Amino acid sequence: MTSPLSKTGMAACLIVLILCALTPLLQSDYLIDVVTEILIVALFALSLNIIIGYSGNVSFGHAAYFAIGGYVNAILLTTYGWPLLPSAVAGVFAATLTAAVVAYFCTRLTDIYFAMLTLAFSMLVWAILFKWRSLTNGDDGFTPVHVPAVIDDRTAFFYFTMIVIVISIAVLWVITHSAFGRSLVAVRENVGRAGFVGIHTRRMRWQAFVIAGFFAGVAGVLFGMYHRGMYVESAFWTQSAQVLIMTLLGGIYSFFGPLIGAAVLFMLERLTNEYTEYWPTVLGSILLIILLFQPDGLVGLGKRIKNKFGGGGSP
Amino acid sequence: MKRILAGAVALAAIGAGSAALAQDIKIGVLYPTSGGGAIYGGPAMVGHNLAVDEINAAGGINGRKLVTVARDSKLNPAAAASAAKEMVTKDGVDVLMGGLSSAVGLAISEVAKQEGVVYLATIPKTIQMTTSKLHPHVFRTSSNTDFEGDAMAQLIKKIGGKKVCDIQLDYAYGHDLSDGLKSALKRHAPDVEVVLDLRPKLRATDYNVFITQIMGAGCDVVTSGLWGSHFVDFAQQASPFGLFNNIKAYISGGEVASHEIAGKMGDDYPPNVISNTYELWYHAVSPNHKVFQEKISEKSGTKETAMWPVLSYTGVKFYAEAVMKSGGTKSDGIIKALEGMTIDTPVGPRTINADDHQANTGQFWGPMVDKDGFSYKVMDPVTYIPAEIK
Amino acid sequence: MLDLIREFSPGLAILLTNPQFAFIQLLNSISQGMNLFIIAAGLSLIFGVLKVINFAHGVFYMFGAYVVHTVFMDWGAPFWVGAIASALALGVIAAIIERTLFRQIYEAEHLMQLLLTFAIVLIMGDLAKVIWGTEQYSVSYPASLKGATDLGITFYPSYRLMLCVIGPLILIALYWFAERTRWGRMTKAATQDREMLAALGINVPLIYTSVFILGSALAGFGGALAAPFSSPVPGMDATLIVECFVIVIVGGLGSLWGTFVGALLYGLVFNFGSVIYPNGQDVFAYLLLLVVLLIRPWGLYGKPEAGGH
Repeated sequence: MTSPLSKTGMAACLIVLILCALTPLLQSDYLIDVVTEILIVALFALSLNIIIGYSGNVSFGHAAYFAIGGYVNAILLTTYGWPLLPSAVAGVFAATLTAAVVAYFCTRLTDIYFAMLTLAFSMLVWAILFKWRSLTNGDDGFTPVHVPAVIDDRTAFFYFTMIVIVISIAVLWVITHSAFGRSLVAVRENVGRAGFVGIHTRRMRWQAFVIAGFFAGVAGVLFGMYHRGMYVESAFWTQSAQVLIMTLLGGIYSFFGPLIGAAVLFMLERLTNEYTEYWPTVLGSILLIILLFQPDGLVGLGKRIKNKFGGGGSP
Repeated sequence: MKRILAGAVALAAIGAGSAALAQDIKIGVLYPTSGGGAIYGGPAMVGHNLAVDEINAAGGINGRKLVTVARDSKLNPAAAASAAKEMVTKDGVDVLMGGLSSAVGLAISEVAKQEGVVYLATIPKTIQMTTSKLHPHVFRTSSNTDFEGDAMAQLIKKIGGKKVCDIQLDYAYGHDLSDGLKSALKRHAPDVEVVLDLRPKLRATDYNVFITQIMGAGCDVVTSGLWGSHFVDFAQQASPFGLFNNIKAYISGGEVASHEIAGKMGDDYPPNVISNTYELWYHAVSPNHKVFQEKISEKSGTKETAMWPVLSYTGVKFYAEAVMKSGGTKSDGIIKALEGMTIDTPVGPRTINADDHQANTGQFWGPMVDKDGFSYKVMDPVTYIPAEIK
Repeated sequence: MLDLIREFSPGLAILLTNPQFAFIQLLNSISQGMNLFIIAAGLSLIFGVLKVINFAHGVFYMFGAYVVHTVFMDWGAPFWVGAIASALALGVIAAIIERTLFRQIYEAEHLMQLLLTFAIVLIMGDLAKVIWGTEQYSVSYPASLKGATDLGITFYPSYRLMLCVIGPLILIALYWFAERTRWGRMTKAATQDREMLAALGINVPLIYTSVFILGSALAGFGGALAAPFSSPVPGMDATLIVECFVIVIVGGLGSLWGTFVGALLYGLVFNFGSVIYPNGQDVFAYLLLLVVLLIRPWGLYGKPEAGGH
């Protein structure tokens, strides 16, 4: 999982990148919208995996940092008329700061208690956003968001999002493939042993959480501007559950897994909604299948298929 | 030769097919058809489909048929916004309709503004939609919290209430209704005092804390916007305390006089309740209304129909009239046509105000009482309180 | 002094000056807590023995509410028959789920287990919609418990008094089961060392199944008991499951007594908190969770290894 990108891997990344960049040329507003949304939710899922796949904890409250990033940016842009850069930075900073504070308390615990504490904190965030109506407009939603003219155009916003997301993913890649990233995996695999080897497990888990919060904030900032609105539902635990499922579906043991999971789940939901209202059943069934037969997600499935057809290669 | 012929026929068929499709008028509709909102979304679609079928059966609008593209709004504003955007960009809908909760309505409204497509809000009541968040592309054909509050104030004056306990859900609708009620009280009955303000949280299941406070506050009227299961739970929890027997009336917005609630509660429906609804299956204001009710009953498979169909039906009728009047589906033309338009609806004529894009949709109000021939409480007498703020 | 309090919190002022009101809030707290205890006890039991956090406990509760509506309101059977039917129905459902799905995940990581139960939530949620539709339902009080009882100091709804009585009864019954029966000893042994128990010839899988059935039956029964004042409606599981989690975590996972105390604490915090500071209703549960976990990281009566790998 922390192996460097192979030649084919790099080629694949480059191709995807180029295809992505060419999207607006297809003259389809719908396609631009879809790719924009997928990029945002993919970063959200990737950020969560820093906590799950890379440090071995489950967070039920990741939506909080997403929402804070989005709301702070939206409010500064619209109510206070800040320019884009300071506003976005403030949004990400607020999300990161919150994550730092929450993680300080949560990392004292492990496993289910850790998870429940993250849930409690995120629901507190939700409650604040919900009740502070004068600032956030409560459950009516904070809309419209004043998006700066330079990115107010659909295509311009798309490229802006793409650049931000690609840079973010690159940074995450570097982090997870550094010594720090490898230590995190050690912590995930065996907390006790990692401690024996001299790794400050609690501090590392805190750092992982903060990094995850940072990038969730970035995703949130983009989300709010894309929708020209922020809604309290984005901080509710069901939002955290949704991104958790995306991460798991894609595969928590690989770097790109959550990205794939996010993209697949997103499109699947859109398509299913056109035909039936029973999306929960579809999603639940997918989850069951993944959990019972393929716990390392779509990436694991992909590897299995590759081994079957590609022949040879490492398992 | 055969192949060329076959090919030509195929091409002609495709050509004819796509020509027909290009002429269709596409209505993008967003009602919650899953989760907690499905209680409302299902019946709303019935009314919508009836209107579309009627118009198409009469030859469409200038020969063009109406086609519905439907999405589940799921009570989630971001999801509704994405769905609305998809319907405009991918499915090419000409107009957006529907919505249920305030946040969803505002989210769709924002998409309408961005994409330059008209949005007819047929259910959301939040006052912001036609005040602070008003823009040229949004119209509302349902009632709003100011009208609702005004009606409630008139009723308080009518029954001679003096001290009011106001219990509202702690979210936008509850706040808006409370504001609407209080400003209306200043207009209609300035000597009435609101002695208690209670705000249970949305999705609350335990109201005992509030019930006991009301009992001790000495009010003779309780006003409320608790709707749906909130009302059912509140009533069930308050009845043993005898709350409803100790007051002049429990005056409620939130349409708890609708048959959906009264029918299900049967004998458990409390006494002394005065509330509102958009429609009552057992009350028709005109022969036309009766015809409409029968059609809805046929489509729903039951005589005791819900109240939502009339709202979605009216929305489609307004739009159809606007297309007819403006000669096309271009948004600017639709906007001009809708402003100040009056049409006939099953429950009477309705007009959309040119300034705030709000239709003068009032509701039926009245006390819920036992009546011979019914195993549940019904509204008697039924009074239509018009939507005008004086 | 009182005026100062009244400025800050009118509710607190009333509590201090009106003993009747305060007593009613106490009863509110206890009755609400007891209903939640019955449901949460099932969750705690399942975790204590099976080490599985059952997210689906909420939909089990919802099914219980719907079933009692069908049996009591639609079919006209007595209320208590309906409540027992809810318990039985959930027992059957639980047995099926345990045999087919849970068996596979006992050895898996907690994350996997949680998500499996979440998948069940999604599917059963839709199933409830298919079976019972999306209309608004209402369940009446049983005739014998309608109205209020005169307690001298005040009147109080009889149904809620019943809850105050039945909660402790179930606590005692569960305690008796756990401590005084062979089944109870075996489940305790299975918790500590299932291999040894299997080596001794005990059918461990059967024990697991029985625990899951009992825990889920409690959820169904709790749902039936709640139905008269918390009407069956889609999505009712979402609010409840969070309340349950808070209670069992606060009390300490796997501790029956902890769940009881946690539930009472929850009732008290919510009811008195709502009177003193109404704006905080949304957050009392989470604040309680936060405060307890920060002081006693494994809950009030929990054990440190209970949550670890």
